[in-house]
Amino acid sequence: MLLIPCPYCGPRPEIEFRYAGQAHVARAADPSALSDAEWAQFLYLRDNPRGRHAERWRHTNGCGRFFNCIRDTLTDKIAATYRIGETPPDLAAGAEARR
Amino acid sequence: MPDQALRQRAPLEALARPGRFGATSAAAGVMLSEIRDRGLASVAARKNQRAALLAAAKSAFGCGLPTRPRRAFGRDGLSFVWAGPDQWVAMLDHGPVGGIEPRLAASLKGLASVVDQSDGRAVVRIGGARARAALAKGMPIDLHERAFTPGDAALTFFSHINVHIWQVDETPTYEIAVPRSFVGSFWHWLTEASAEFGYEATGSNSSA
Ligand SMILES: [Zn+2]
Repeated sequence: MLLIPCPYCGPRPEIEFRYAGQAHVARAADPSALSDAEWAQFLYLRDNPRGRHAERWRHTNGCGRFFNCIRDTLTDKIAATYRIGETPPDLAAGAEARR
Repeated sequence: MPDQALRQRAPLEALARPGRFGATSAAAGVMLSEIRDRGLASVAARKNQRAALLAAAKSAFGCGLPTRPRRAFGRDGLSFVWAGPDQWVAMLDHGPVGGIEPRLAASLKGLASVVDQSDGRAVVRIGGARARAALAKGMPIDLHERAFTPGDAALTFFSHINVHIWQVDETPTYEIAVPRSFVGSFWHWLTEASAEFGYEATGSNSSA
């Protein structure tokens, strides 16, 4: 089981959380201006990296908050979690997971 | 019309039979009771009023509202448990149940939304040498004494029921707030989990 550091509650077991898709997918300011292909891109197409992936999680059976998480899809190792609205931490220099 | 007076009943009044249950080979490892004389209210900061709310609470109640999962004690039997970012559960020992909302609302007007929860949640106290072992059967968080200490609080779940738990003392003793309509299932699970250690149930416990 993963131990996921909720930015509000601290490290908690995975069963308290729900996965909520890729993070930082911005909705267009004027959706009606998009082509069908662009709209489909927004709605359906997601990254599928082998490695670090920015994703949203929700602490459903805890504080109830959504937050962002950088998880390695290969190792399941969580490099960082951060609050909605915060910029993703720079992990290039091998920054450690923060709580 | 028939003369039917409405009577206030504690959530576990019909379920929590007092007495000694489960294993009887040694002293009871778990003590269970329901706290029936405590007022509860949810407190949520209004938009952009967080700093003002923290300051107002400090001067009105004599304690800061905790900004991480902890419980803080104020004056005159009031305490506040962190319940998520910018949210708290306020508690008033020895009631009167229902008297807490006006008391808070007067001091926090415009800074926080205050809603009485006294009848919405049941508060169960669980203590004793084996309390930790009994809770570990239904709760996923780490209650080890190095990880969770008196004053610490958590929003988590017990046997699939969302609960709010905080530790009272090093016995260890915990208090668990449970949505009222789930407290029957919760009590069933808790007493089953406690049976192997032998448990003593007292119907009601004073809040202090
Ligand atoms: Zn949380």
